[in-house]
Amino acid sequence: MKKKSACILLVFAAVIVLTYMTGESYYRGISEKAGLDEQEEKIYKYQYDMIVDSPDSQFWQAVYDSAKKKAASNNVLLEIMGSDRETSYNKLDYMNMSIAAKADGIILQYNGEAGLEEAINTAVRNGIPVVTVMSDAVHSRRQSFVGVSDYQLGMAYGEIVARYVNENTKKILILQKRDIDDMNESQIYTQISNAVQTAVGSADIEIKGRNLLSTGTFETEEAVTDIFQQKRNIPDILVCMDEETTECARQAVLDFNLAGKVEIIGYYTSEDILAAVEKGVISVTCDVDTTQLGQYSVEAVTSYIEDGRTNSFYNVDINFLDKTAVEKMRREAVTDEKNPLE
Amino acid sequence: MKKIRWSDFSLVSKIMLEVGVLALLLFSINMLFYARINNSMQEMDDVYASNAQITELGQVFDDVQDSMYQYLKVKNSQALMDYYQNEAKYRQELEELNEQNIDDSVKLLEKKIRKMSEAYLSCTAGTVAAKRGRNVEKYKQEYDKSLELYSYIQSSMDELNKQLFKENSQTYAALRAVMRYLEISNMVIMLLVVVCGMFLLITATREMFLPLTNMAETAQLVGQGNFNVKMPPTDSRDELGEVTRAFNTMVENLSLYIARTKAGMEKEQQMIERELLMETHLKEAQLKYLQSQINPHFLFNSLNAGVQLAMMEDAEKTSIFVEKMADFFRYNVKKGEEDATLEEELEAVDNYIYILNVRFAGDIHFSKKVECDVGNVRVPSMILQPVVENAVNHGIRNIDWEGHINLSVERWDDHIEISVLDNGLGMTREQIERVLSKKVHSSSGEGDSTGIGMNNVISRLELYYECDGLMEIYSEGEGMGTEVVINIPLERSEKNVQNPAC
Repeated sequence: MKKKSACILLVFAAVIVLTYMTGESYYRGISEKAGLDEQEEKIYKYQYDMIVDSPDSQFWQAVYDSAKKKAASNNVLLEIMGSDRETSYNKLDYMNMSIAAKADGIILQYNGEAGLEEAINTAVRNGIPVVTVMSDAVHSRRQSFVGVSDYQLGMAYGEIVARYVNENTKKILILQKRDIDDMNESQIYTQISNAVQTAVGSADIEIKGRNLLSTGTFETEEAVTDIFQQKRNIPDILVCMDEETTECARQAVLDFNLAGKVEIIGYYTSEDILAAVEKGVISVTCDVDTTQLGQYSVEAVTSYIEDGRTNSFYNVDINFLDKTAVEKMRREAVTDEKNPLE
Repeated sequence: MKKIRWSDFSLVSKIMLEVGVLALLLFSINMLFYARINNSMQEMDDVYASNAQITELGQVFDDVQDSMYQYLKVKNSQALMDYYQNEAKYRQELEELNEQNIDDSVKLLEKKIRKMSEAYLSCTAGTVAAKRGRNVEKYKQEYDKSLELYSYIQSSMDELNKQLFKENSQTYAALRAVMRYLEISNMVIMLLVVVCGMFLLITATREMFLPLTNMAETAQLVGQGNFNVKMPPTDSRDELGEVTRAFNTMVENLSLYIARTKAGMEKEQQMIERELLMETHLKEAQLKYLQSQINPHFLFNSLNAGVQLAMMEDAEKTSIFVEKMADFFRYNVKKGEEDATLEEELEAVDNYIYILNVRFAGDIHFSKKVECDVGNVRVPSMILQPVVENAVNHGIRNIDWEGHINLSVERWDDHIEISVLDNGLGMTREQIERVLSKKVHSSSGEGDSTGIGMNNVISRLELYYECDGLMEIYSEGEGMGTEVVINIPLERSEKNVQNPAC
């Protein structure tokens, strides 16, 4: 009788303790989730700011992810500016902010905005190294450039465009976002133009460049739609030099039922763009190695801070993907998922 | 030092302790819950404190900007004083903000606000200094710069406030969940503790009163006469322990008392039995003594010697008398314990009458009428002689007229009727009743008698034939004589004769 009672009592006590402990762990779980309990915070030695055009685009998010990993391994805290903000600051504002906030380094996608070069120089004067990515501020005092040079990019695009030129090709339109007055001075334009002429000889092909740089919201989409609305001026080959333009062009081609009639040479490999390549809406797209881009940009700033010098140019690989290449890439991805160890 | 045991506490102390422990347990659990809820409430109160702090910082920041603008506008000393005060206050409040590179958007924003504010303050200081130094171009330039920084800081503060509000809202929602959880978990634990406590209380109380329950059952058994049951021995010093020991002692004493009384009664019974046995033995001894007084062989030999002597002296009558006497006593001794034929019985009666007539000089007129063959009829021995002896002693001995005794044996279909009829004193109805119901005690062995009474005869007849009413007595009153009739059932007596061994 006594034994039985003791057993029941023990069971009761165990249930109470278990309930309490489960509850306590649940309580702690909720508390931690809510950040009630102070988490251990890692303090970094340096803090860099990354200032780019569309911080929320997949391309720049991919670059940021890779750069952040590299930064963390270098004891650097990297912040991409403007991703959460609803303010309409431009790159110059962000540059000024970073200078005032005494960032340890700035990674900037230069776009030729007025006063940006001066801001770069101010930052450098204040001891903040600046590294430009994807497009270079050649005349500024920036420490380094990471990306594909316009010459190189132009050559690569030229080669691809030439491949798609045939006897029916009449018009080629190149869409860029550059702060230059005359598109004909653009290295990219020049290279593509040269390549096309080399390919077709004396054939009469109109090659045009257009600058889509604007500070206005949704203007890229409006500009691209505008091109397709002028039926006489619809190009046979449309060259897009950034992710947003490529996506807009893809949508416009679908909306105007011109898929297959207009060859789109795209830029970047977002999921939407790759799907469009697979369906044949976009003929080919340029894949820039975002991992390299991110890593090199952080590496350039850090090596300048720590060693006092850095390479003035870091070259990033580019690659063009057509329908066959995308399908192959997909198959490899599926195989890798099935056999993760191999 | 003596060890204090639970079983030594009094019942009141035990109950007080149990209830006290339960109350303490409930109180502790309550305090624990209270602390947890209080903690959560406090955290809830602090949820939006950071927002308030940033808003306050923004207010001071605005004050710095306003006071600087005021000074630049009117250049009065009050405005300058205000500016310095606000600047100092703002600097002080900035100290609260983070200045480390921490991977947390809020902390990072704090750091940026702090750094930008430092740049801003140096800018405003430059502006004020230029204004005071009347360097118009510089102070305007610096003012523009500080205005630009002002807008950046302002927007950063808005951003920070927004992010904090988002975080705090999440924290608030989580705290609400925590509070809800606490409510439920507290209730569950409290319920469990109450159930557990009740169980503990019930078990302990039952345990405490178990000896009392057992005692009630044991007492019932004792009440039914079972003195071998006992309560299990206990050494507890509480009230129940005392009562248990007292109960056990009582049962022991009761059992001892009963045993003693029983033993006394048994002893008394034994004594009575022994007394009775002694009486029987005494009587037996008396009988043996009486018997031993006359050694039958010696008597028969003596009587035979007397017969021979009488013959030698030619005293024929004496010789016959002594011979008859010898025959009578031989029959008496020989047949004392076995049955005999009716013929032998009649012969014994003849001998007895002859002896009596010699003694009483032929006063007894005895006649015998046997109308059937009586050689094969077996009867208990010595049944006729006592009847005839009664007829002589109580019937005809003291009468004034001539006494007659008639013995007749008559055969009927199923029985033989033996009748002994005398013309003596007769018997009243009451006397007859008393004799037949065996209420008359004969003084056997004493006086002038062979020692066998009517009771004995009736009893032996009943035992031998296994039925009642074999003897009947008839008398018409005093002086009218008496007739004793014995009915011998033929079936039984003849069977006994055919199978004498049975």
